[in-house]
Amino acid sequence: MKKMIFALALSAISVQAFATTTMSLTVNGLVCAFCAQGIEKRMKALPETAAVTVDLKKKLVLVQAKEGKTLNEKLIKEEIVDSGFEVVSASLIQKSIAEINK
Amino acid sequence: MIKQSLLTVLIVSSFNAMAAPLAYKDGMMGMADYSKTSTDLGFNYSVTAKDAIGITSVYQQTDSSSRTSLTNELAYTRLAHRWNLSDAQANVWLFLGAGEMKTNQSATTKPTVSPGIQVDYETTRIYGAATVKSSFANNASSINTSFRTGFSFYETNYDEAQPWLIIEARRMSFVSPKYEYTPMLRIIDKSYFLELGANLQGQPRINFMYTY
Repeated sequence: MKKMIFALALSAISVQAFATTTMSLTVNGLVCAFCAQGIEKRMKALPETAAVTVDLKKKLVLVQAKEGKTLNEKLIKEEIVDSGFEVVSASLIQKSIAEINK
Repeated sequence: MIKQSLLTVLIVSSFNAMAAPLAYKDGMMGMADYSKTSTDLGFNYSVTAKDAIGITSVYQQTDSSSRTSLTNELAYTRLAHRWNLSDAQANVWLFLGAGEMKTNQSATTKPTVSPGIQVDYETTRIYGAATVKSSFANNASSINTSFRTGFSFYETNYDEAQPWLIIEARRMSFVSPKYEYTPMLRIIDKSYFLELGANLQGQPRINFMYTY
């Protein structure tokens, strides 16, 4: 019984550790791709970032973390401000960008 | 060698009626705007999200080429205010240049100071801008005024090029007291910005920006 509980706990921890995390940010001022490219370039330069997408229609920026890395919300918001935009809200989703966009 | 490097930078690089005359923090932007009576080249580096420094070179001539001027300046661009709205963006830009002007009317170069302002508003479907840029030099001052408006044919995703129709009314006092009207096809891509058109006299116009 103890072994079973230990195995279950271990698998739960493993799932948590390897889950893909994506930060979804609602951004004001996103009206043109040429202006928004700074967000993509600055986000991709962060060591913990695996992928970035910008959705002009939904006014969303999605930032996917590399496996085992943690996204720094404060830093990501600063990068978007340094690109010339305003962050309205941010939330973490336990999915990859590909899964979110399905 | 230094002169050659400076010339190379000038050639690949304007501040005349651009959509967004500076890039993101630490970004660089090259700009070129060509027409028969005015060619602007510019290059700038964004020190912050609101400040860029760079160089500009502006060549202007009258239709008959009887008067010409070449102005080379160090340029400062300031995003004085931006309104980031949920479906739109509005900006107030300030420009300041300082350098020298050479004309075919004088054997000597003249020092110049070039202040300017641009106000613009943009959504994913409509665009409007008003720009005034002056260049003050002894006996050869110039005031450039332009008004632009236009619309995109459809919305696009971030990774797709978006076509726009833009109409510009532009007056350059050194060139002519009259406004010239130019319809242009604008293509906005995430890595470049291109406008192609011709004024009502059929003279071609090409405007290009690239962000590094």
